[in-house]
Amino acid sequence: MMHDVWLAILPHLLLAGGAVSVYLCGAFRPGNQGLVFALSLASLVLAIAAAAVTPAMAGAVGLLDTGAFSRFYLLLLLAVCLGALLLLQRYAHLRRLSGEVLYGTLLLAALGMIGIAGASHWLVFFVSLELLSLSLYILIAIRRDQPLAYEAGIKYFVMGAVASSFLVFGLGLLYAATGTLAIAPSLAALAAKEDMVLSLPAFLLILAGLGFKISLVPFHLWTPDVYEGAPAPVTALLATGSKLAVIGALVRFFYAVPAMPQSLLAVLWLLAAATMLIGNLTALVQEKVKRMLAYSSIAHMGYMLMALLAGGRQGFTAVLFYSAVYGLMDLGAFGSLGLMSPKLRDLNDLQDFQALGYRRPWSAALLTLSLITLAGLPPTGGFFGKFLLFTAAFKAGFPWLAGIGLLSALVSIFYYQKVVVSMYLRDGRKTGRRVAVDWAGGVACSVIFVLLLWFGIMPAYLLSVVERALSLN
Amino acid sequence: MQALPLLSIMLFLPLCGAPLALILPSRPGFSRALTLVVSGAVLLLAIALLLFYGGENGGALARLTEEARWIPQLGISYRLRLDGISLLLVLLTSLLIFLCVPVSRRSVKQGQAVFHCALLLLESSVIGVFLADDLFLFYLFWELQLLPIFLIIGRWGHEHRLYAAVKFLLFSLAGSFFILAALISLFLLHGRQSGDYTLAFAALRQTAIDPGLANLLFLGLTAGFAVKIPIFPLHTWLPDAHTEAPTAGSVILAGLLLKTGAYGLLRFAVPLFPQAAAANTTLLLVLGLIGLYYASWIAMAQTDMKRLVAYSSIGHMGLVVIGIAVQTRTGLAGAVLQMLNHGITTAALFILVGMLDERFHTRSLEKIGGLWQQIPVFSGFFLFFALSAAGLPGLNNFVSEMLILLPIFATRPLVAGLGLAAMLLTLVYLLRLVRQTLFGPVRSTMQPVDLSLRETCILLPLALLVLFLGLYPGPVLGLLMS
Repeated sequence: MMHDVWLAILPHLLLAGGAVSVYLCGAFRPGNQGLVFALSLASLVLAIAAAAVTPAMAGAVGLLDTGAFSRFYLLLLLAVCLGALLLLQRYAHLRRLSGEVLYGTLLLAALGMIGIAGASHWLVFFVSLELLSLSLYILIAIRRDQPLAYEAGIKYFVMGAVASSFLVFGLGLLYAATGTLAIAPSLAALAAKEDMVLSLPAFLLILAGLGFKISLVPFHLWTPDVYEGAPAPVTALLATGSKLAVIGALVRFFYAVPAMPQSLLAVLWLLAAATMLIGNLTALVQEKVKRMLAYSSIAHMGYMLMALLAGGRQGFTAVLFYSAVYGLMDLGAFGSLGLMSPKLRDLNDLQDFQALGYRRPWSAALLTLSLITLAGLPPTGGFFGKFLLFTAAFKAGFPWLAGIGLLSALVSIFYYQKVVVSMYLRDGRKTGRRVAVDWAGGVACSVIFVLLLWFGIMPAYLLSVVERALSLN
Repeated sequence: MQALPLLSIMLFLPLCGAPLALILPSRPGFSRALTLVVSGAVLLLAIALLLFYGGENGGALARLTEEARWIPQLGISYRLRLDGISLLLVLLTSLLIFLCVPVSRRSVKQGQAVFHCALLLLESSVIGVFLADDLFLFYLFWELQLLPIFLIIGRWGHEHRLYAAVKFLLFSLAGSFFILAALISLFLLHGRQSGDYTLAFAALRQTAIDPGLANLLFLGLTAGFAVKIPIFPLHTWLPDAHTEAPTAGSVILAGLLLKTGAYGLLRFAVPLFPQAAAANTTLLLVLGLIGLYYASWIAMAQTDMKRLVAYSSIGHMGLVVIGIAVQTRTGLAGAVLQMLNHGITTAALFILVGMLDERFHTRSLEKIGGLWQQIPVFSGFFLFFALSAAGLPGLNNFVSEMLILLPIFATRPLVAGLGLAAMLLTLVYLLRLVRQTLFGPVRSTMQPVDLSLRETCILLPLALLVLFLGLYPGPVLGLLMS
């Protein structure tokens, strides 16, 4: 039995050990960027390997869930972090960012993410959330030459603190109402209560706290500023990993509450509709590409919330499938943006992208494919993922919500198109020094590129993985 | 089931060729030759299928059906089938894409590798639309068409190309939205009824739907397809897209993409909801007639030749809609034949206008005249195709127009009468086009050269097809009537 416990937390240990050794490296061998990168790469890869080879065990070890569902998000989040790490390498090297801080903190963020998605107890959930948030504050503000990055870091910090306090307050009420802090039983007990005096505020406060984290409208206002200010590869991590971790936790919460109180259902319905609509409509009028992508990621959270609301086997399948696709496409979009950015300032204005398709063909191709996937056009995974999401919502009896979602997804194509048009069809400087993509970025880009297409053309494999992850829970 | 998956080969050959076209960007000749070879091979394969399986009125075509597991979790399978209608449309597709290569020899100078890659992608997706027998597969190819044509218009088009390309994209996507919503509803309705969630066309046809809902879904699907056909009032993207597109883009739009819209209507929307289609016959007839008259009326006022031909496209497609709406066997055969004819004739007219544009750098009717004296061979072709578009007896359009309109006289004489009268209008604006450009005084100071061998070779097969379909439509009709 003891053996199983160690095996189950092996990925966590590897990440924590990796982070500590990276920090130590900084203390004893300062400036050795290659070494710290190799160390963090090794600990992430080993963590992935450890998670992939150990069989899933139904149930929990201590306060951590070790079921197949946890495993899915564990692997997905680690893969996303690995992608972000690879995309960061060149970016950090060119801008002389301190590798020790950057990579070590990234590993801690990864640890926080898998803790959030795998927690079966509110305590682990909260501690992991704080670990993730603290790491992200550092990562966002890591470019000391950029005032915008500082601003973004502070903004995220203030918002994060407020969100955490909401969450803690909600958890306190939850404990008062149910007397337990184990996630599934406490939520089930809360939902079963006839008297809503305690349970409704508890639900709403927890919802608000998490809403901040995954930037649901109306808790979304920090998102564009932070995404714009943070370095592009960090934004990639921010948009994918930190949100997917919370989505993974949300799947667990919705799973624990099969029959939701009507009032809560109505609130969630409104949140989903508002997030999809406002996210997409606001993205439409953005002049800056990073802000536009930020609003697009807000809208995508709305789609996922819609499918969570639909629930049931189909809804959760759709959410898990879309999580994987979403992680890849936002990583691809922000990552390629980081690869193409000049040293002093990240690409942001639409004009910056003019004729970039000719100067940086490979990175631009990935950005294009990621945008097509975000727009949900075939033959990419984005189309099939959206197909699943909307079908689930229709089937579960939310035709209006699905209709709103479809319509807003239609609108969204207009703003994604602007970037692609700018890169390929607008006049601009077509020749210039060809910048070769580094090996790390190149590997990440090609894998993302292939996977995005593969999940769209042959979705059966990922679908079967997702179904297995849900069936063994 | 065949030993050799011929349909898949035909479908994926261009798709495999597309990335290959990109590998030598500095040697444009390579991508051109590759595209020529690949599309030529597809054309030959399509002709071979016609010769070997097209006999006995296409009865043997059913043997070519292919099926494979794809996404079993959602009842989606890879399913292709070929019948007379799709065979003819595939032939048209491969012929026109093949011709697009020499057509763009002069007009496309930059980024030829990407251009040919887009051309091949487009070929695969259009063929996919015509072959798919699973609605998911169909939708996938349907959407896939958009990106290459968007690129072709936006990159190699004329002055306002971006505006036209984006407008085209938005209209098409709005149409796709309706199609997707209708498909998802149908998928869920069928699944709830039979417990078998599938997107196979044959199974979905069996769904029993409440008439009100069926009507809604039919209108949704039709609205989606109507954007592409285009049916009035969803046509406004077309003149812009056609005018701004390079010649190859116009040829593809008119010859292929409009056909996919009409094909979707007659292959999917009508058979899936036959009662709803019957209930909406009048609506479709009226819209078709409006399209016919409205387009002719506007065409009369055009001075840009490309715009004029584009409006004539709307008119001709209005006739196709009428043929589909009446739902008789002759009407349907006429509609498909009209699609083919329109594809051939309009493509030829766009090619001819493109050649004029290369010579005079203008497409204005007011600046070109008296061509008959300057370039007689060109003028001969121009007159020939214009007369074909006007429905001169003995040429192709006459046959299909009569097939569509004559049977309606028995049931709806008013519609048939109005349709025939519209033919006169068509004649008016086409004769105006011919009179302005070919006859009268020479208006331009330039000294154009007559058709080169390459240009003649492009036009000759189209002209022969016009004659063949006009004089001896029997075998083709045999394929369509079965």
